[in-house]
Amino acid sequence: MSQSLKPYLTAVRASLTAAICLEDFSSQLVERHNIPEIEVDNGHNPELILNPMVIARNENEKILIEASVNSVRISIKIKQADEIEQILVHKFTRFLEARAENFFILRRVPLKGYDISFLVTNFHTEEMLKSKLVDFIIEFMEDVDKEISEMKLFLNARARVIAEAYLIPFD
Amino acid sequence: MSLMGTPAVVMDNGTGLTKLGFAGNDSPSYVFPTAIATSSKVGQGSNSKSLLVLLKRGLEDLDFSIGYEALSAASGPNYNLSYPIKHGQIENWDHMERFWEASIFKYLRCEPEDHYFLLTEPPLNPPENRENVAEIMFESFNCAGLYIAVQAVLALAASWTSSKVQDRSLTGTVIDSGDGVTHVIPVAEGYVIGGAIKNIPLAGRDITTFIQSLLRDRGEADSSLQTAEKIKQQFCYVCPDIVKEFRKFDEYPQEKFAQYVVEYADKNKNKVVDVGYERFLAPEIFFNPEICSSDFLTPLPTVVDQVIQASPIDVRKKLYKNIVLSGGSTMFKDFGRRLQRDLKTLVNERIEASERLSGVKSTGVDVLVISHKRQRNAVWFGGSLLAQTSEFKSYCFTKHDYDERGPSIVRNFSLFSVP
Amino acid sequence: MMLQIDPKNLLIQKTLTETIFPEGDSGSPKSLDRIISDFDYTNYHISTLPDNKDLLLISLYLKCWTDLAQYGVEKYLSTKYAPFSEYLTVLTGNDIETSFNFSMVLNLENLNSLGSEEVKLAIIDELALLKRNAMASAFEKAFARYDELAATYADSNTYSEEVQAELQKEQVLVINYRESDESIYIKPSFDRVTVVFLTIFQDETDKIFGKVFLQEFVDARRRSVQTAPQVLYSHKDPPLDIQSVALSSNDENKGYITFVLFPRHLVKGDRRENCITHVQFFRNYFHYHIKCSKAYMHSRMRLRVKEYLKVLKRAQPEAVDEDGKAIDNRKTASGRRFEVGRV
Repeated sequence: MSQSLKPYLTAVRASLTAAICLEDFSSQLVERHNIPEIEVDNGHNPELILNPMVIARNENEKILIEASVNSVRISIKIKQADEIEQILVHKFTRFLEARAENFFILRRVPLKGYDISFLVTNFHTEEMLKSKLVDFIIEFMEDVDKEISEMKLFLNARARVIAEAYLIPFD
Repeated sequence: MSLMGTPAVVMDNGTGLTKLGFAGNDSPSYVFPTAIATSSKVGQGSNSKSLLVLLKRGLEDLDFSIGYEALSAASGPNYNLSYPIKHGQIENWDHMERFWEASIFKYLRCEPEDHYFLLTEPPLNPPENRENVAEIMFESFNCAGLYIAVQAVLALAASWTSSKVQDRSLTGTVIDSGDGVTHVIPVAEGYVIGGAIKNIPLAGRDITTFIQSLLRDRGEADSSLQTAEKIKQQFCYVCPDIVKEFRKFDEYPQEKFAQYVVEYADKNKNKVVDVGYERFLAPEIFFNPEICSSDFLTPLPTVVDQVIQASPIDVRKKLYKNIVLSGGSTMFKDFGRRLQRDLKTLVNERIEASERLSGVKSTGVDVLVISHKRQRNAVWFGGSLLAQTSEFKSYCFTKHDYDERGPSIVRNFSLFSVP
Repeated sequence: MMLQIDPKNLLIQKTLTETIFPEGDSGSPKSLDRIISDFDYTNYHISTLPDNKDLLLISLYLKCWTDLAQYGVEKYLSTKYAPFSEYLTVLTGNDIETSFNFSMVLNLENLNSLGSEEVKLAIIDELALLKRNAMASAFEKAFARYDELAATYADSNTYSEEVQAELQKEQVLVINYRESDESIYIKPSFDRVTVVFLTIFQDETDKIFGKVFLQEFVDARRRSVQTAPQVLYSHKDPPLDIQSVALSSNDENKGYITFVLFPRHLVKGDRRENCITHVQFFRNYFHYHIKCSKAYMHSRMRLRVKEYLKVLKRAQPEAVDEDGKAIDNRKTASGRRFEVGRV
């Protein structure tokens, strides 16, 4: 783990643990509805929304934590150094989002400007262990960079073998 | 036909066998096991040639074979065999993706960007599976267009070639019997009536092993599975009545008993196997399951009757009138005739009972079992029939649709109506 | 392992083998009517003639036939299949099957009665190479022109401006081998033949993966395969050699790949044949491997999804173990169980 990654993740872990503090809360706008307040447009209920927080390792890698009384939205921007990493991140996050149902807290569409978003509601925290949910997000952040760079390495290695395999038989 | 552009690719991936081919042909170009042999060792290239050593690096995902080649590769120590489809549904997506990769590029030799694809799925396939299929076909292979059809519906469409079929409707009962399981599937207006489907755990494999056990009991010179398989294909038929059939064998042994010659490369080693009662006894397990199975005892005609009775009342008459056979294990001579007779007896008994009780005269129920020439690969053939029409492309989703709207588009396909 | 694209069409080979060497009893010949496809919009039709089942009609449709016709494909194919003229007749004019470009009739009766097993196998092989052979005609023509130029300029100062200008004007052979303007350009010179592939990437991923692949093609010669043809890659704009025939466009998805074949690759005989076979399948090879890489990426991602799900499962108190069995022995220190689910 590189020097700056550890403090970054430590900060994220502490902030997430603090932010995921949710309770059941019925909608004040629509009777008998119970919706994640953070997803309500226009902020009708400013008293239910906390100040959003951005933790950035650098301008390409950051996390946005938006908390509310009954839900937290966590959006992550994953490091992308070049267009290869861009397309790999795009493919990978889309692949995960296509399976969002299995992941419970994964949002099908990321927030604009970010690559992947999670939405944790009070129902999730009631059924799942909060510390482990935080662990999951931290592990995901740790792993995703590694996976993207491994895929990139694979692509380069494969390209090299394929190019050579094509060019050798000419001679 | 070249003016129409490239022919659509029809792929029917079953639990046991895969059928591949181009729309417009009357039979699949390839029929081989849905099996894949993948490399079991990692990077112990023992080849001395530098090129090969070089190429060994990081190409494990290309080191595989499918179909019969997979079977022979797996007999060696370096490959593991696996069947990516279990009970009709795709279980191992990694293997299935590579299975398609080889199917398309090696066997069918086509650039998927240039072709439309028709794939099949079992009844009650979860929509997530469809989405996964679309993800592979569009994202990995960029295929031009995709249609996923339910196998039973294609089997119905295949029966339209039979002269017995007057109206080309997509309502009927499909009896699909392959190697592993026999399904009885009612279809109304192109939609499978999911709740009424019934499966019978007796199919081709059970018939073969039954023949094998009879050969063993008699102590024939050769009682291998292959021999049993050949005897099943060449000699078996369905008889109207077993007791009478036994008597016929005793009266006319010359005509009824047969001999099968097991050929070897060395002609002198050829063995002769007598073929006796198994000729009619083996297929009889569909009609009298107790002769071979101890846990499943309902005869096929009764199952078909139960399935139709479990379907909505307004389609039952049509379901009785259009019973379509599909799959290799329905190929026995007179299979359809016997099924029709037995089913008719059941239906007539019920009608009589109801007439007796209610005193109202019934208008009668027609029972018609349709067998046709394309029965063996009926599902594939039905696909070929639909995919060759000029309207086919308009029913498909294209790569453009997929890129625009995502995998969920494949949850709904419009139904075919062929003029 | 499928690394290279086989120049042979496996399905033609299989179909003909089954017809020429029928399994089991060889009674009367069966009637046959098959559509077969190949890369780059190629279609074949193999059928028995309705009035005589011993005659097999084999027809080919090729997207770029009109281009190839300029380079003498008909003559080339006739010569190629001449050794089998006893059994194989090339049809001309109106005899060619409608909506196909090229037809041949294989006389099965003659072949079965007169042909040795070796001849039969040779015919099957050569017919399975039909597309390869048709495409080869243009390359043969360009290579023949190279032979001419090499002879002409053997003793000249090829660095002089007049000669350079002359060579620059050399005609470029163009083969529009696929739809949407994908083309092959071949330009002969006295010391080289330049082959340029114009290919179009169907989507963003292909384009970027393609770039990575092509960079390695360009570098491979410098790094390890010194004797290989030189490879150049340009995006959007056509290379200098073919600017007379290829218009520059603003299409982001276009890529030009240039192969410079040197005299060592053009040595007459097996090497030249091999070179023609190999170079013409470049596009198929290239796009095939892009697709394989994407498939491999899918496998990786499936594995990751599985791993992530495992991590997430730990957050569920009623977690299940590997076998899918519920672990119900989680208790607090005081022996109470976790409250599972909302009430």
